[in-house]
Amino acid sequence: MTLLELKEGDTAVISRVSGGKGVSARMAGLGLHAGKKVRVVRAAPFRGPLLIEDISSGARTMIGRGIASHVEILNEKR
Amino acid sequence: MWKSLTKNDNSEMVIALAGQPNCGKSTIFNAVAGFKVNTGNFSGTTVSYTETEVYIGGRTVRLIDLPGTYSISANDVAERVARDYLLSGQVDVIINVVDSSLLSRSLELTLQLMEMNVPMVIGLNMIDDAQKKGMEIDIPALTSLTGLEAYPLIAVQGSGVHELFDAALKVSENSFHRVPPVYDRDVEECIARIEARYPSTLKERLRVDTRFVIIRLLEMDEEFEKLVSEVDGDFLEYVVENRRFLAEVHDWPESGVFASHRHALVLDLFEQVVAVRSRTGTSLSEKIDRFVINPVGGLAATVGVFFLMFAVSFWFGNLIAGLVEAPLESLGAFLMSHTSGYTAMLVSGVYDGFTAGVGIVLPYLVPLLVILSLLEDTGLLPRIAFMADGLLHRFGLHGKSVVPIIMGYGCNVPAIMAARNLEYERDRIITMLMVPFIACSARTVIILALAGKYLGAGYTTLIYLGNIAIALGVSSVFSRLSADVSPGIIMDVPPLRKPYLHVVMRKVWVRIQEFLLFAWPVIAISSIALAVFSYVGIDDVINRVLSPITTFILGLPSDLGITLFLGIFRKELTLIMLNSALNTTDVSTVLSSAQLLVLVVFTVLYIPCVATISTLWKEGGLKVALLSIALNTSIALVVAGSLAFLL
Ligand SMILES: Nc1nc2c(ncn2[C@@H]2O[C@H](COP(=O)(O)OP(=O)(O)OP(=O)(O)O)[C@@H](O)[C@H]2O)c(=O)[nH]1
Ligand SMILES: [Mg+2]
Repeated sequence: MTLLELKEGDTAVISRVSGGKGVSARMAGLGLHAGKKVRVVRAAPFRGPLLIEDISSGARTMIGRGIASHVEILNEKR
Repeated sequence: MWKSLTKNDNSEMVIALAGQPNCGKSTIFNAVAGFKVNTGNFSGTTVSYTETEVYIGGRTVRLIDLPGTYSISANDVAERVARDYLLSGQVDVIINVVDSSLLSRSLELTLQLMEMNVPMVIGLNMIDDAQKKGMEIDIPALTSLTGLEAYPLIAVQGSGVHELFDAALKVSENSFHRVPPVYDRDVEECIARIEARYPSTLKERLRVDTRFVIIRLLEMDEEFEKLVSEVDGDFLEYVVENRRFLAEVHDWPESGVFASHRHALVLDLFEQVVAVRSRTGTSLSEKIDRFVINPVGGLAATVGVFFLMFAVSFWFGNLIAGLVEAPLESLGAFLMSHTSGYTAMLVSGVYDGFTAGVGIVLPYLVPLLVILSLLEDTGLLPRIAFMADGLLHRFGLHGKSVVPIIMGYGCNVPAIMAARNLEYERDRIITMLMVPFIACSARTVIILALAGKYLGAGYTTLIYLGNIAIALGVSSVFSRLSADVSPGIIMDVPPLRKPYLHVVMRKVWVRIQEFLLFAWPVIAISSIALAVFSYVGIDDVINRVLSPITTFILGLPSDLGITLFLGIFRKELTLIMLNSALNTTDVSTVLSSAQLLVLVVFTVLYIPCVATISTLWKEGGLKVALLSIALNTSIALVVAGSLAFLL
């Protein structure tokens, strides 16, 4: 399952970031590593990015849908 | 390349501010050096380094403000600037600035910087935000675990900055005792194996901490790999073997396996130094944020901001321009009646330049700058990027280009530089070609003072919308021409912050100063030049050369040729020289409404100004600069020409 399949308000744990070295390095830089628990705060209109919150720090990052589809996640729950 | 990471001579001490984006490095720099660099509540405000001499603790030191970088392995042009500077071997002391409210993320870079083994202290900035989040940072524990001294700061209020710099000066004088990060046993064994084979030739070539070099290689740092392969290819192969082994054992991609171990260290460190109390209530800024990131609220906020930006500038500009008109005119009349001949020519030149600044440019410029500064400081820019990303995708761009585009309404030069934050070359080039179409403050003054005043709000809005449509069209065409597609946006969204009046005022003042010191003299000299030209008759020559464009294509009086020509140097000049070129005080008596519209549209679109062209050249190369000139000029001719033909 990927981040893209989550709905607003859902939480999940990142299990793997694929999609090339650049993308995973950027994600890691923003603190979005495997093992991190995140929440989808909002999905932007017009198929825009997802606003993701790192639950432990409260830091927010927007991630385009193309990239979100490369972020694998575990155990989704509401 | 990197002979050593620190220099060994006794020249002036160099202190560099390094940290992740948006942690407050530039704010600290300004607190010490006076307002010299721009600040803003979004990642990537600073894209090039700035150095200045400051006098602290009884000595002169060279202080460097660097762009933010998430890690030493830079991912975009701005981050590369920071990396290259840190690795240049010029830095004596690093002040690692961190956003305390994001301490766990920030420590990832801290550990990487520690691996460089350069004297370093930590500035725990934004301690106010950390407290709001209920975080308590055990600073003595942080110091004992890392060996680095750390100081709490609220840079934007200037508190804690002195203590931090005192410590930075001391750490360079006394010996520096960091506690180097120690990784898992198998990682340490891997490093030890490699260290045992570390060639002495490499030690001579790269007088950098060997452990640092090994870690860079384990992180697949291409630049280090290339350097090492030039010295000893076999050694590099041995490192790669070990790296693969490590990746296999941990079932992790080769490029990320080392970082994942560092991440584990960071989590551990974070847990030992931070206690989080549960917090209560929602702050006002969070409530506003909830509204702004809603589709409806976000759209309303975005449209509202743009409306405000131009409406307030227009309203305020007209008000002030109207107030100063009469006194300026009587001053002019007084000057004219007391001078004659050559002196009259000189005096009228200076007078025109002065009037233009006070009576035309500044009244519209100041409110625009205030609103743009508020946009930067509150953190609305990333939120507009969030809202606009989906739409921009239809034009082949993504939301990150919003920052350069909106900055372009102030001035195209920093806007083109801001494209350095885009990770992909393709996005960067397209954004750079798009920005010169954005009506910068100089062109906004022209739009407001001509279209706003004589044609009304409807036409003015149409001009802005048409302008954006053309810019998006350009992006759309170029993205179709380019073979690769952009992977999309990843961008930090910092909390909304209240703007500080003193910051906004300083930012606006710096821009006005730039106008007074550089633009105003240019305007005054051009006014005098125009007076001399018309006296000697050179303006006729220029006007005649340009008349195929001015009269034939655009249907304007040929006298405007010289003003359009001068506009290439500073866009304001077109407007300012208008009255003297047409020999009138009210252009609407000479030009019809249709002609005014054509003139405004052409001025907004044609050749970027000299400063913009040279920035395009520096940032994108000669080809991009030439392409931009050709593109802007041809589109201006087609659009304004068709308007002239149709109206
Ligand atoms: N609440 C709070 N805000 C701060 C503090 N210090 C700086 N800021 C604000 O944080 C924002 C970022 O500051 P900058 O100085 O531009 O950050 P930077 O590290 O230079 O950022 P980049 O150039 O993008 O890497 C600005 O809006 C500052 O006004 C602080 O101590 N507390
Ligand atoms: Mg900065």
